[in-house]
Amino acid sequence: MAQIELRNVQKFFGAVQVIKDMNLTIEDGEFVVMLGQSGCGKTTTLRAIAGLETVTSGEILIDGKEVQNEKAADRDIAFVFQSFSLYPHMTVYENIAFPLRAVGMSNSERDKAVKEVAEILRIPNLLKRRPSALSGGDMQRVAIGRALVRRPKALLMDEPIGALDAKLREEMRAEIKRLHISRGSTSVYVTHDQIEAMSLADRIVIMHDGVLQQIGAPEEVYLKPANLFVAQFVGSPVMNVADVSVSGNGGDVSVVVGKADAGFAFPQSTLGNAKAGHELSLGIRPEAVLLSHDKSDGAIEVKSTNIEPLGSHDIVDVQIGSEVLRARTESGFVSGEGQTVWVNLDPTQAHFFDRASGLSLRGHE
Amino acid sequence: MSDLTIRNLFIIPTIAFLIIFNIFPLLYSLGYSFTDFRASTNAPANFVGLQNYHYLLTDPFIWRNFTITAKYVIVSVTGQVIVGFGMAMLLNRDIPLKGLITTLLLLPMMLSMAVVGLFWKLLYDPSFGIINYGLGLGKFEWLADPDVALYAVALTDIWMWSPFVMLLSLAGLSAVPKHLYEAAEIDRAGSFYTFFRITLPLVAPIVMIAIIFRTMEAFKTFDLAYILSSQPTAELIAIRLYKMAFLEWQTGMSSAFAYIVLVMVVAITNIYVKYLNKVKER
Repeated sequence: MAQIELRNVQKFFGAVQVIKDMNLTIEDGEFVVMLGQSGCGKTTTLRAIAGLETVTSGEILIDGKEVQNEKAADRDIAFVFQSFSLYPHMTVYENIAFPLRAVGMSNSERDKAVKEVAEILRIPNLLKRRPSALSGGDMQRVAIGRALVRRPKALLMDEPIGALDAKLREEMRAEIKRLHISRGSTSVYVTHDQIEAMSLADRIVIMHDGVLQQIGAPEEVYLKPANLFVAQFVGSPVMNVADVSVSGNGGDVSVVVGKADAGFAFPQSTLGNAKAGHELSLGIRPEAVLLSHDKSDGAIEVKSTNIEPLGSHDIVDVQIGSEVLRARTESGFVSGEGQTVWVNLDPTQAHFFDRASGLSLRGHE
Repeated sequence: MSDLTIRNLFIIPTIAFLIIFNIFPLLYSLGYSFTDFRASTNAPANFVGLQNYHYLLTDPFIWRNFTITAKYVIVSVTGQVIVGFGMAMLLNRDIPLKGLITTLLLLPMMLSMAVVGLFWKLLYDPSFGIINYGLGLGKFEWLADPDVALYAVALTDIWMWSPFVMLLSLAGLSAVPKHLYEAAEIDRAGSFYTFFRITLPLVAPIVMIAIIFRTMEAFKTFDLAYILSSQPTAELIAIRLYKMAFLEWQTGMSSAFAYIVLVMVVAITNIYVKYLNKVKER
C-alpha cells in the first residue's frame, strides 16, 4: 500500500495540453475517484501514474520516491483497463496467474495466490474458462483479480465498469466498494459517471479541460461546489443555473431570477461574498426549488412548462422570467403543463457564482 | 432482373468454368491413372488396374524425388517463416517511410517465377555471378554442385516468398491489441516473456495460414527449380512428374503419380488445418 503524490504535473500531446499543472496527494489506503467528461485528462493522469504515459514535466511520487522516469513494470502498480485487456488465449486461471509467472513466483505459491483471489472475487468455478466464454461482469472480476493477485502498492482503475449494462454496473460498484473495504488498497478510479464517483469515493477529484476543479469528499463537492462546472457536473438531475440580480442591503435581499417581475427574499447571510449589483448566477438543485399549490409568503406565481415523471418523483419545469427552473416534486404533484403553481427557493441550499469566472462566492470555510 | 437472376448470372459461369477446367480433367486423369495410355501414340488405353500405383509406390527413384522435395519444403518454408516473421517484427513499429519499405519488400513475390529463376541463375553464375563475387567464393558452383543445388533453389524461394509470410505476419502482429502489451507491462512481464506468451500465441493462427500456403506451393514447385538447376539431387517431384508426362509420355503412369502427390498434399494440409483449428478455438 502506498501514498501517491503528483507535483506540478503537465502533459502535452503535441501542442495540446491535456494535464495542466496538476497537484494531488492520494493518501495510503484512500479510494480516490477522478471524475470528469471524456477528454478532460483524467485517464491520461491515471495512465501517467501507472507509467503507461510519460509526463511532460512535474513529478510523480509513490511513497515519497520519484517514479516519473521509471517504467510501468518498476512502479509495482496494478491497472484495470476499461476494455479489461484479458489475455484472450489464456484461461481465467492463467490470466490471474500471469503477473506472478512473469516475475517467476514458484508454482505452489502462485496456485495459492490465484485460488485465494478467485475466492474473494467469487469466481473459483470460472478458472478453467477462457475470457471469450465469460460475461462482462465476470471478465471484469477476472481483470480485478489479475490486478489484486500480486498485492500491488496501488490499484488504478480506468472506467472498469463503463462497458457493463446499468444493472450489472450497480452490482459491480457495490463489489468494488466491498473489495476496497476488505483489502484497504490505495485505489484511484476514473469515471465520467458522477453516481459511481459519489458512491465509491473517499474523495472525488473533479477535472475539466485538464484542470483540477475541486477535490473533496462526495458530500462536500455536492453541497459546496467550488464553481459552476462542479455544480452542474455533480448531482442528478443537474443543478439549475440561472442568471439573477440581487438588490437591497441588510436584513433580507431580493433575488430576481431571469428579470422576473418579483424576487425571492434571501437572508443576507446566504449570499456569501456576493454583493448586490454583481453579475451573478444562482445555482440551485431541483430539490431546493419548492412548489406548492397555495400562495405562501415570498412565493412567486409561475406556470409549469414540462413534466418528466420518473416514478419515485417528478421533475417539473417552471418558467420564471426568462429562466426555466427544474423542480423535484412528489409524483403527480403537478397534473399537467400550463398549470399555475407557486414557487419558492430554499435559501440554505442556494449557491451563488460569479458569472464571469464561474467561481463560487460562498465564503470557503 | 430479379435477385435470383442476378445471382445465377454470377454463379453459372463460375460453375461451368469449374466443371470444364477443373472437375472434368480431374476425373478424366483419375480414369487415365488406371490405364497404360500414352498421349504420344494412337494406341488405345488399356485398363491396367492399380498397376501404375503399385509400380510408383515401390519405385525407389520416385521415393528419392519425394525425399528431395521434403527437404526442399522444410528448408524453404522454415527459412521463409524465420525471415518473413523477422521482417514483420521489424516493420511492426513506427518507422519513417514504412509504407514505401513494405511495398519494396513485397516486390520479389510479385515477379514471375521464371523471371526470378533466370535472374538468380545469373546471380549464382560461377564465373561472373555477383554472389560469388560478393562472398569471395571464387568459382563456387552453386547450381552444379550436387550437395548445394537444392539449397540454392530453396534460398531463391526464400528470397522470393519471405515477403508473403511477412505480409501475413504483419497483419497478425498489428491485430494484437495494444492494450494487451500495456497489460503485460503492468503485469511486469519482460520483453521475451511478452513475446513468447502474448505475441507469438496470438499471431500463430495467421502465421499458420501462411505456412499452409507456402507448404502447398513449395510442394509443387516446378518452374524455379527447373530453370535453376538440372542436378538430379534437385529434382523435385513436380519436375519428375513433368518429365514422366511430357518427355517420356507415360500419360497413364504420370496421372497416377499426380494423384499420389495430390493425396499427400491434402494429407499434409489437413494436419496443418487441424492444428489451426485447435489454435483458433481459444
